[in-house]
Parts: sequence; C-alpha cells; structure tokens
Amino acid sequence: MATSGRTARPRVAVAKFASCDGCQLTILDLEDQLLEIVSRFDIVEFPEATSRRSPGPYDIVFVEGSISAPEHIDQIKELRKQARVLVTIGACATAGGIQALRNWADHDAYRAAIYAHPEWIESLATATPVSEHVKVDAELRGCPIDPGQLLELLTAVLVGRRPQIRDEAVCRECKRKGIVCLVVAGGQACMGPVTTSGCNALCPTYDRGCFGCFGPRAGANAKSWSAELLKSGRPPEEVWGLFAGFTGYAEPFRSVITELGKSKG
Amino acid sequence: MITSPALSQAAAARQWFLAREDLGALVEAIRGTGRRVIGPTVREGAIVYDEIQTAADLPAGWRDVQSAGSYRLERASDERAFGYTVGPTSWKRFTFPPNLPIAKAHKATFGFEQPAPSVPPVAFLGVRACEIAALAIQDRVFLGGQFTDDDFRARRSAAFIVAVQCTTSSSTCFCTSMATGPEVRGGYDILLTEIDGGFVVQAGSPGGAAIVAKLPTRRPSHAEAGAAVDNVESVRTQMGEPLPMAGIGDRLKLQLDNLRWAQVAERCVECGNCTMSCPTCFCTSVIEQSDMDGKSSTTERQWDSCFDVAFAKVAGGDFRARPRDRYRQWLTHKFSTWWDQFGSSGCVGCGRCITWCPVRIDVREELAAIAPPIAPVEHPMAVEPVAASPGTYSIARLASVRPETEDTTTLSLTDLDPAFLEGRPGQFVMIALPAFPAVPISISRFRANAIDLTIRAVGQTSTALVNLHPGAKVGLRGPLGTFWPIQEAYGRHAVVVAGGVGLSPLHGLVDALVANHDRFESVSLFYGSRTPEDQLFRDDLAAWTASKAIDVVVTVDRAGPEWKGRVGVVTNLFDMISWDCTKVTAFVVGPERMMQASVQGLISKGVPTDRIHVSMERHMECGIGLCGHCQMAGRFVCEDGPVFRLNDLGDMFNREGI
Repeated sequence: MATSGRTARPRVAVAKFASCDGCQLTILDLEDQLLEIVSRFDIVEFPEATSRRSPGPYDIVFVEGSISAPEHIDQIKELRKQARVLVTIGACATAGGIQALRNWADHDAYRAAIYAHPEWIESLATATPVSEHVKVDAELRGCPIDPGQLLELLTAVLVGRRPQIRDEAVCRECKRKGIVCLVVAGGQACMGPVTTSGCNALCPTYDRGCFGCFGPRAGANAKSWSAELLKSGRPPEEVWGLFAGFTGYAEPFRSVITELGKSKG
Repeated sequence: MITSPALSQAAAARQWFLAREDLGALVEAIRGTGRRVIGPTVREGAIVYDEIQTAADLPAGWRDVQSAGSYRLERASDERAFGYTVGPTSWKRFTFPPNLPIAKAHKATFGFEQPAPSVPPVAFLGVRACEIAALAIQDRVFLGGQFTDDDFRARRSAAFIVAVQCTTSSSTCFCTSMATGPEVRGGYDILLTEIDGGFVVQAGSPGGAAIVAKLPTRRPSHAEAGAAVDNVESVRTQMGEPLPMAGIGDRLKLQLDNLRWAQVAERCVECGNCTMSCPTCFCTSVIEQSDMDGKSSTTERQWDSCFDVAFAKVAGGDFRARPRDRYRQWLTHKFSTWWDQFGSSGCVGCGRCITWCPVRIDVREELAAIAPPIAPVEHPMAVEPVAASPGTYSIARLASVRPETEDTTTLSLTDLDPAFLEGRPGQFVMIALPAFPAVPISISRFRANAIDLTIRAVGQTSTALVNLHPGAKVGLRGPLGTFWPIQEAYGRHAVVVAGGVGLSPLHGLVDALVANHDRFESVSLFYGSRTPEDQLFRDDLAAWTASKAIDVVVTVDRAGPEWKGRVGVVTNLFDMISWDCTKVTAFVVGPERMMQASVQGLISKGVPTDRIHVSMERHMECGIGLCGHCQMAGRFVCEDGPVFRLNDLGDMFNREGI
C-alpha cells in the first residue's frame, strides 16, 4: 500500500457535498472498531469528526453527497486529482439521493417558493451522482451506508483483495434470514426484487417493504416490477414514489419514473 | 374407502389413535429424548418452520390460501393442527443452512481447517409427502456422488422425521403431477394423519415406535382408520387431473430455442425467490470474511441462485448473460437435466416457486406453453379420403397439361371420385402410375370438376407424370393431410408468404382468400422466386392482382435487364407491412431455409407464433402415417401435417437434421 507521512498507514480523507452527513456518522458509529481503524488508517481529513485539516494527496477519499451546487464541480475534480482511490458512499453520492427529485421538477420555481432571496442561493438545476463528474473506483450504497460493508471495504484494502460486496436482490437476504415475503404474504409494496442487497434486509426485518435506498441492482427488471405494482392496484403516484424515493435518478429506476411521469402528464 | 395400494399397505400396518388434546404428549416425548423440535408455527402472517416448545406453538385452527404470488392465512372452521399445506420455509433451511462457515484459515500457520459439523439431535415435525421426496432428492445430490457433503450428512442423520399426511391442498400444489404425493409412502419415523378429534399414528422406524409407545394412544376404530385414508384421498381429488409430465425432460430439450423463454424473462424480476423457497435447489456461493488484522479468515457458504446476474460469469464474460438464459437454465435443470445428473426430477410439486413469485409466474403454465405434450394434432377431417390404403387407387383422367416453368407442369385431373373435389386447400394426394411408385403432390387448385396438381419433374414418377398426354389415366389416393385453417384469419390480416414452387400448396388458399376477401381485414401475397422464369401461375398472379381483392407483391432473387419488378429475398417485402402484426394470420410455404427466415421475420414484426401456419415437405411413401419416412420428432408430416401451426412444431421447425 503506497503511503505517505511518518507512519505506514494509508492516508484517508472523508469529504462531503450535498448530503445529511448520515453516512459519515456511520463511520463514527463503528465504535467497537474505531480504535482498530485509526491504528491502521491515518484519517487526516474528516470535517464531521475533527477540525484538523490536511491537504492531499490521499490514498483513499470517501465522498458523501451529490453534486448540487456550481462550486461542487471544481471541488470534486480537485478531490479526484488528490485521491489514489475514490470511494463514493451513500445514496446521494452514488445516485443523486433524495435531492435528485428536483431533476424532475422546476428548480427555479421551487427556489423562489422556498427562499426569501432566491438570488442568494447558488444551486444547480440538477443533483447528480459523483460518477457523472469524475471516475469512481468503488461505491458503497445505501441511505445510510451499511457499517458491515464499510468494514469489509476497509478490511479488503488492508488484506489487498477486492471487497466482497455482492450485487443481488434484497429478496435473497430476506430468504436467507427466513423473513416471510412482505409482498406475497403481506400485500405490501417493496422494492426488494429490483434493489441491490447489502443492508441485510433491514426494513423487511422490521415488517416494512424495502425503500430501495441501496439503488438498482445489476440487471434489475424495473419495467416488470413497476408493471406488477401497478397491476396489483397501486396508483401510479405511489409507484412513482417507490422508484423515485432515494435512488430514482439511477437507471433503470429513472426510466420507470420518466415513463410514469409521462402517463401522469 | 381404500383406493391407493400404498395406503392399503399402510392401513394393514399397526395404527394407533392419538387424541388432539394429547398432541402435546408427542412433542414432550420427542423433546424428552434430547431433541429440539422444529415444526410449523405462525409468524409474520405465514406458517413457517421454527423451533417449537409445546403443541400450543402449532398453527391449530389456521389455514393458508395460496395462489401465484399470493399467500394469506385465515382462521379455519375447525381446530386442525395441520390444516394447511406448505409455507415459505422448506426443510432445507435445517438440512442445508442458508449461511454456513465451511472453512477457517490462519495466516501465521498457513493453516486451513474445516469446522466439524456440530449438529444437535433434532426432530422435524409436520413433514409432508412432497417434502419427504425433496429430502430424498437432497440425499442424492449431496450424498449420492463420489464427493459428499459432510455437514448435510450430519444434519440429515440427526433428524427424526414426523411426517404428516396432507388433508387439504392449495391451488399451487401439484404433487400428483410429480408423483410425490399426496400420500406419504415412507421416509418417516412417525406418520400422523389428522382426522376429526385427533390423529391416526403409525411408526416407520424402531425409534418412532419407541416414541409412540410413550403416548396415550388406543387402537383406532374402523371408522377412524377409514377417515384417515379418505382424508388423504380427498386431496388427490381436490388437485384434479395431474399435468402431462411424461417425457418432460426430453420435451424441454427440444425447446431450447422456444421464443417463450424471452417472453417469460421479460416478466421475471430474477429475485431468485423460486430458487430460495424451492426445497431442492442447492446452488451456493462462498464469501471470505477476514479479520481486520488479516490474521484469520472464514469462508462462509451462502445460498445463491442461478438467477444471479454473476452466477455464470468468468473473467472473460458471462455464459448466461441474458435473463432468458437464466430462466431457461433454472427450468430445464429442474425438469430435464436433473434427471441426467441425479436420476429424478428436481421438482416435487410443492408449488412454492409459484406462490412466492412476486410477479406470479406459474411454472406449470410455462411448462405447458414451452414444452406441451406431444399429442396428435387435433384437426377435423375435410372429407373421408378415398383409396386411403397404400395398395388401392381411385382412377382419374388427365384433362390437360400446362407447363408452368422449365421444370414444373400443372396437370388437371378429372373424372374423379367426388371426395377429391371436396378436399381443402393445403391437402395433398398420393399419385401413382403402374410401375411408378406413388408420390405426394399438393392439390394446387380446385375446379368445378377437376383438381390441379403442380408437379416439378425431379424424380422418376414426377417425370413420368409430366410427360403424360391428356386422356391418360392416373391412380390417386386422398385427399390427405391437414389443410389451411382459413377461418382463423377471419377479421384479421391474412398474409400468404410463398417461395418458389411453395406457391403450389398455397394456390387454393389464395383462391379462397380472394373469393372471401370481405371477411378479412386485408389479404396479401408475398411471392419470391429465384428468377422471373421460375414464377408459377403467372396468369393467376395477374388475375389476382386485377381482382383488387388481394395485394400481390412479387420479388425475384436475380433477374435480367427486362425485369422491371423487385429484386431481393421475400423477407425484404415484410418492411412494407404497416399493420398491427398481432392481428396477422400468416400462411408460409417454400424451401425450408426460406420458411425459417420468413417465420423469423414475421415473429420479429410481432406476428404471434400460434398465428403462423406452415406446410412442411418430407419424404413420404404411404401418406397415412404407416411407413415412417416423414417423421419430424413427435409428428408424422403426412398425418399431423403437412399444414402445421408453428407452435405445434416448436423448435423442430428450425432444427437441422430432424
């Protein structure tokens, strides 16, 4: 592992754009492992945790948040230059997040309706994932990210292998855990069949259909699943909301939302 | 009433009666031997298998209502403990756990170790007939080969089986089709059959007998023993006719290119719920879990699914890249290739894959659509053929001889048996001359007192026929075979696609379409031949065009400078089709390659496969299904054809060497 500075530990930075900081808190929430983590990684930049600042270059940069303001574009490009490995964390950084809902709305009208001085607010008309602006080396999905996946990524860096992060339907995690299907037995709306795993079926474990916060899995048949939700009697607005919620700007959810929007008029 | 031989044997075995209120004694007796009891219990709106402490944990008074994509629990009108069918859990959860550490590795010593299976004794309470069959399949998969699964062996031998007869079925159940139920035929330590007031109990092993001996039982009355048998038999009746599963393995292997795979894959969301809830699916993947210090790691085996997008991936690419490939893999493994590997079906008919499919795909419907049983094609006889037997002939007289092309001639036959005049477009006759064996020839035209046969002089009989002079006699048998189902095109766009001499068996059809053109949304003929000189029926083509009852479009593969028409293959003409192709009924004849290309072209335009009719050519000696020459997989072309609905041929239509 290429390192710099006085120790042999990888230099790690944590940065944020438009986001709620929940993913950064997930790092801090790894209380049992924190001492071990800081003994193996030199966390030199982490505004959520410390006011100590340190310029790049960094071995690993974790990026939270979507690109939502004009200055973000230059900032993420500069971060990319400073990062040997850039990892996006969370639904905002990987898919645009909840704020990407504005990508289907009239940005100026909302800004004018909410802010007393909209001319003081500098924001982009769209909120976009980091990968639309710079090359991303790895993603941790979710709103917020899963602490287990974060640990696995850190461990994989130390061991020198690829992180073992599977891309399969949330349904698989439900079935392994023995959770009774909320759709089939409960008639609930659930994004499990089209959403990638990693949360260990967190919401279904608490009798709540999957929100899709980990975003579409590879090969997700969003077209069939949205058609099935409509066929089972759910109004188009509800289906729109299910797909749009956290990761709606990521394909193929985006196409479903666009189609439903058209039929809504 | 005892109707099943297996059950009569069971009835002869020693039976006891256990009152419902004493069911707890069974649970206690088993737990008393140091076993955990896993059994049915209500959780999360379903009856799942989990550890139970007492009989009170059982789902007494609950019933399940299942259909494709739906499972609901309801209060039953009785207090039966086992009045449900099968739920989301299968016993593989306990014989083949979803997550299992299979190896540990230590960096310092470079040591790998396999954890020894540690399986406390357990009892499975409420195992159904289909589930016993599933356990037997797992035995073959995990223990039947050269290499075996130690963990499975330990779990399987640690399990004491208390089987329960089904006394009801769900709409998703099809054990009778897979010959695994409804009655339990063995593989248990204790067998319970629920009747009013309690259970008829049988022991299937010394261990089972030892437990039964501890229970407060008595001998069942004759009525109780009879009720036990009747309750199980009523399930067979409930399930109705078994599905036609004979030869399903071979039938599927003949359908690997069926277009239905792509259609079902459009619905399938590849969640893998079918494979996860299946009691026999056994695919797994491993993940490595390392300690952060890198000193040790654990290899964990997890249930996986062949529907996983990465399941068949290697560094260079993906062997099953499309959803249709993955759906086909699953279905053909369950019902076809499983036989080759393990000597049985991989399906026990429990129906879990149907109930737990969130997009309601019913495997029974897919099997019926993809690999229907090879049954005789049902078709009404146009007219009773005359001189059907190969040694008899009806004599007709040659009225006229008309050359069509350099090698093709139309013979008009008259003084016929009236049956020939009542034949239908698409049918054929066997025609012979003394010393010249019979050959099959399509009837190209029906006239008032004559039929036309259009013959290409390519063999001894056909050459002799075209060299006859008017007045000559010929021997006929027929009319034979299936005919064009013209009525199926009523109200639709009738599209006739002909290649070369393939126009001959279509001529009579075109005549009928033209005569009844107002019954169709539109009528078209696309006709391709090699050269302008190879066109048949040039006068008729002109007359049809002039009638305005049909759009006639012709093309040739190659032409001299005098040709002013289209040049190119007939499938190019499909670009002219502007109608809704789901409303097209197509009739296609020509050389086999041309038919295959035409059918592909029509399908890609959206013409349904059950709306495409083709006429096949094969060597025929007898014309009535006795000589064997014209066999095409499960069909005789002479008898089941020559006109086929494309669906009835399946993959055979595109196969080489059939």
